[in-house]
Amino acid sequence: MISSGHFLGYVVLLLKGAVVTLELSLGGLVIGSVLGLVLGLMRRSRFGGLRALALLYIEALRSTPFVILLFFIYYALPLALNLDIPPYLAAISALSLHCAAYMAEVVRSGIDAVVKGQWEAAYALGLTYRRVLGLVVLPQALRIMVPPTIGVYISTLKDSSLASIIGFVELLGQGMAVRESNVGRNTTDILLAVAIGYFIMCYSLSRLGRYVERRTQQKSRAVAEAGERLSAVVLSPGGV
Amino acid sequence: MGAGYSFNLRVLLPYFSDLGWGAVVTLELSVLAILISFPLGLIGALMRLSGNKVSRGLATTYVEAVRNIPILVLLYILFYALPAYGVPIGAFTAGMLGLAINSTAYTTEIFRGGFAAIPAAQYEAARALGLRPIPIFLQVIFPQVFRVVLPTLGNQIVSVVLASAQASIIGVGELTYETQSIGSKTFRYFELFGLAALFYIACVQLIAVFWRLFTRGAARTLSAR
Repeated sequence: MISSGHFLGYVVLLLKGAVVTLELSLGGLVIGSVLGLVLGLMRRSRFGGLRALALLYIEALRSTPFVILLFFIYYALPLALNLDIPPYLAAISALSLHCAAYMAEVVRSGIDAVVKGQWEAAYALGLTYRRVLGLVVLPQALRIMVPPTIGVYISTLKDSSLASIIGFVELLGQGMAVRESNVGRNTTDILLAVAIGYFIMCYSLSRLGRYVERRTQQKSRAVAEAGERLSAVVLSPGGV
Repeated sequence: MGAGYSFNLRVLLPYFSDLGWGAVVTLELSVLAILISFPLGLIGALMRLSGNKVSRGLATTYVEAVRNIPILVLLYILFYALPAYGVPIGAFTAGMLGLAINSTAYTTEIFRGGFAAIPAAQYEAARALGLRPIPIFLQVIFPQVFRVVLPTLGNQIVSVVLASAQASIIGVGELTYETQSIGSKTFRYFELFGLAALFYIACVQLIAVFWRLFTRGAARTLSAR
């Protein structure tokens, strides 16, 4: 065990690491969401070529371990392209590319969840594809997409721990550095502190996800009920 | 491809058997983790649904704790902390246990969802027919749960195979480990990680196809009863 005086100092280091973990994974989520939105829209495109391309990307990335993608970017790309890729850049690129494949599925199922009648009604009003998508479908799809996006963030946050093995110092990286500076001592408490750090971040996010999901469901139920009342009034014989 | 690097698989020919054995270890690791975690997940789900507060609390705590900690942290705890308390553990055992512990948490949730999908009327009808609790479970409830969870269990198998790559980090000589160690000798990282990626992709797609056939077959057998 590490003496308590030192341990407090280490906790400060771990907190700094946790902030880096949050930043790294949020960066991966944001870039991955932008790519995922493009890929998700490609999956529902009118052009077969775009659909196939997006499907290929999503299937390939979801069937490859994240470690392999990370190593490929960190070890293989610099040799092949004669580039210098620092650990930070490798980690955030790998997280973004990986996250994009999962976000593409979130976007696709979000679009699919908007009923077909919405598309037809918007087209019937004379809106173009872009306007139907931007003004009618996506605003509704986005609300449905929030809870699964939080789920993707949680798994991105957990995946970001692998950045420590290419030498990027985030939460786990800090923990391992503390371990190394205490060779010969039992450093279980540091590993457990790291685990608790991840737990607090992921558990809070999952509670947030559950809360948002419940609210979305309540809201969509309220909307559906309002719609039913409205159509009951409009369609009832004799009307208002 | 930049100047000075040309794609060359022939350099790797002498290492193909190492890669092959690595792939075998990947499969061993995954199969063992799955064989351990699936039955434990079923038990975990029964605990989460049981009337006993203690077992329910234990199972819930387990699921929440494990699902919110990265697998790599779990692997480090097993591999570095257990020996510090006098429990000798090899890399393979630590890797397999880590994967099994992680997979048990997810499998518990999968089975729990399966039980939740069975309407209460099924229990009542079986009881009304005079069946005792154990036959109710084995002959009425479980076959239906099994059919509900089968597709999701397939996804879990894929997750375990993909996660097994992380065992390389604590030194388990599976495919990712071999890929990296051959890479450090030959610097053929591009070809090596490309090959490894293709192996995992092929594995995952094969599992998906096989599992779909299996699920369809099982559904037919179960509904024929």
